[in-house]
Amino acid sequence: MSNPLSDMELPDVAFCIGTNMTEAHPVAATRLKKALARGSKLIVADPRRIHLATLADLYLPLRVGTDVALLQGMAHVIVRDGLMNDHFVATRTQHLETYLEHIAKFTPEWAESICEVPAADIAKAARWYAEANQGAIYYTLGITEHICGVDNVQCLCNLALLTGQIGRPGTGLNPMRGQNNIQGAGDSGAIPDQYPGFQAVVDPDYRRKFSKAYGREMDAAKGITKVTAMEEAGRDIFAMLIDGENSVVSDPNQQHTREAIESLEHLVVIDIFLSETAEMADVVFPATAWAETDGTFTNTERRIQRVRQAVTPAGEARPDWWIISRIAQHMGLQNFDFNHPREVFNEMCSLSTTYAGVDWDLAATGRYHWPVPYRGHPGTPRLHEDSFPIGRGKFSLIEYRDPAETVDETYPIWLTTGRRLATYHTNTQTGRAGGMDYLAAEEALEVNPRDLEAWDLQDGETVWLSSRRGRIAIKVAGSKRSPMGTVFSSFSFSDTPINTLTGSGYDPVTHTAELKVCTVRIDKMAVADTVGG
Amino acid sequence: MTAAFEKTRTICGYCGVGCTVDVLTRDNRIIGIQPAMDGPANEGALCVKGQFAYDYVHHPDRLRHPMVRNADGVLERATWKQALRKAAAGFLQSAERHGRHAVYGIASGRTPTEADYMMQRFMRAGFGTHFIDNCSRA
Ligand code: SF4
Repeated sequence: MSNPLSDMELPDVAFCIGTNMTEAHPVAATRLKKALARGSKLIVADPRRIHLATLADLYLPLRVGTDVALLQGMAHVIVRDGLMNDHFVATRTQHLETYLEHIAKFTPEWAESICEVPAADIAKAARWYAEANQGAIYYTLGITEHICGVDNVQCLCNLALLTGQIGRPGTGLNPMRGQNNIQGAGDSGAIPDQYPGFQAVVDPDYRRKFSKAYGREMDAAKGITKVTAMEEAGRDIFAMLIDGENSVVSDPNQQHTREAIESLEHLVVIDIFLSETAEMADVVFPATAWAETDGTFTNTERRIQRVRQAVTPAGEARPDWWIISRIAQHMGLQNFDFNHPREVFNEMCSLSTTYAGVDWDLAATGRYHWPVPYRGHPGTPRLHEDSFPIGRGKFSLIEYRDPAETVDETYPIWLTTGRRLATYHTNTQTGRAGGMDYLAAEEALEVNPRDLEAWDLQDGETVWLSSRRGRIAIKVAGSKRSPMGTVFSSFSFSDTPINTLTGSGYDPVTHTAELKVCTVRIDKMAVADTVGG
Repeated sequence: MTAAFEKTRTICGYCGVGCTVDVLTRDNRIIGIQPAMDGPANEGALCVKGQFAYDYVHHPDRLRHPMVRNADGVLERATWKQALRKAAAGFLQSAERHGRHAVYGIASGRTPTEADYMMQRFMRAGFGTHFIDNCSRA
């Protein structure tokens, strides 16, 4: 997030797109509700009539995968109606002229023809956001889990640049991160193109720095993404070390992932349960769970916080960092003799630019938002106050593209996926927490009640749901949250492995899977199918 | 049995909001979670997951020891020494047979940052490659 969570109480217009915030980030939603209670306006764009949509002053029910059309339509209105922040674009941005020419063709009427939101509502949303004293954008995976995930984000950036709704309290571009420490995973350099602290691996200076620090020559070229690695398993990739990740259930195109993992010579999995992925491993290590280990998490507002051990680990479980460093030592690698998470964290800070000014003890205060570029720096709760990392902000020229799959005669229904409040990711944790089962005991496919009728289905009936990649049995449940022609399921249950069906495409830049959209068909079960099951 | 319980200040492990909580323990078991009124992200609020979903920590299905696949293809209990040796030998062997770009590491968005840092350090210092990613892409 460009702005801290506390800023969520400030905007007078909040634009939430592709975020099921009340379910995925409930406490953040609570803070936003404080702004609403004060009379702030809420705009919600989401294909499903989620709970947040019922709180909205303006709800934009766009068709799945058409965010670019909606957002370009809004940008067009801002330019057309003179709602641009002239001072901001003059002093903080570049390439405005080209962008203005580009945006001219994306009229709200054109946008309506694609995203199915009335042009008048698109114009109203644009006006509210642009005219707000403090306008803020919030989004999550509903924006990024598409083949055009990067395009979606860049369209949002364009809106913030046009209106100057960034770099001040209660404004900003605020992606809400899903997993508790997904931010920390990126910060720490567990990505194929950047060293710790987002230092590009293709930069010769950083290459020299890390080659020296790690005592061997680093590759000059980027690595490959996890998606590519899975594709190359058995051809170029033969061994994998997987930490705490149930790839077989959480990855799209499940059959493909299973085959990829089976084709490895050597698989080592570190986890707290014997997950479906761990069951396929050659070696499995027991890791400490939350509350069994000391360390740090970095949250969605870039705040570095200490986690602490409260109970002794189960059985012989050990911390993940310890297990990995010991594998390294058994391979004969030098300089892996870490004995406390403090040593690990402090080494990372010493090599990072964003964490350079903190250490284990300062992290314990929970006061620092990165970047903290040097010791004594107070941290950066709000990004882009005076300038952008590249100096002046750049407008992106984006064209609308259809999702990787669009409905046709064979697969006439849109399927979209997501999370539920009471479950967490692949459910290895919440599925085993006694308190949670009664809240979401079984997955169901949410179908608009009128579709149920049209397709001759009973509420609670088990059906076949198929895509180009596979078929699963799942119960249908009537829900007005689903628009007609679009069905929804979460991916939290391996009993109904929804990711058998997804995975139609990937964003060409980030390789994020298009989990949010694919096309499916529903078939009634033959009597023979239902008797045995 | 001791009547008193202990409190440990930590961060909820369920989502990116990062609410500050106090874990209440007695006899080395978690007996409850309290929101921290001075938690910067939550200021005393918690959601249903953060408040109640902690039983998994003590679940009987937890992995309690290393496991290694035996000659019959079955995963069986092993000592740390056996498991670490086998894990290390497998990576060395694949790298020797197919080159250092044959090994890949996947870090987690749920583990503490130290785990992720160590994973990328393992790939970079161990193989000189950037064949490392985390689960944010799927
Ligand atoms: S208590 Fe709820 S909102 Fe807070 S970090 Fe945990 S899961 Fe997220």
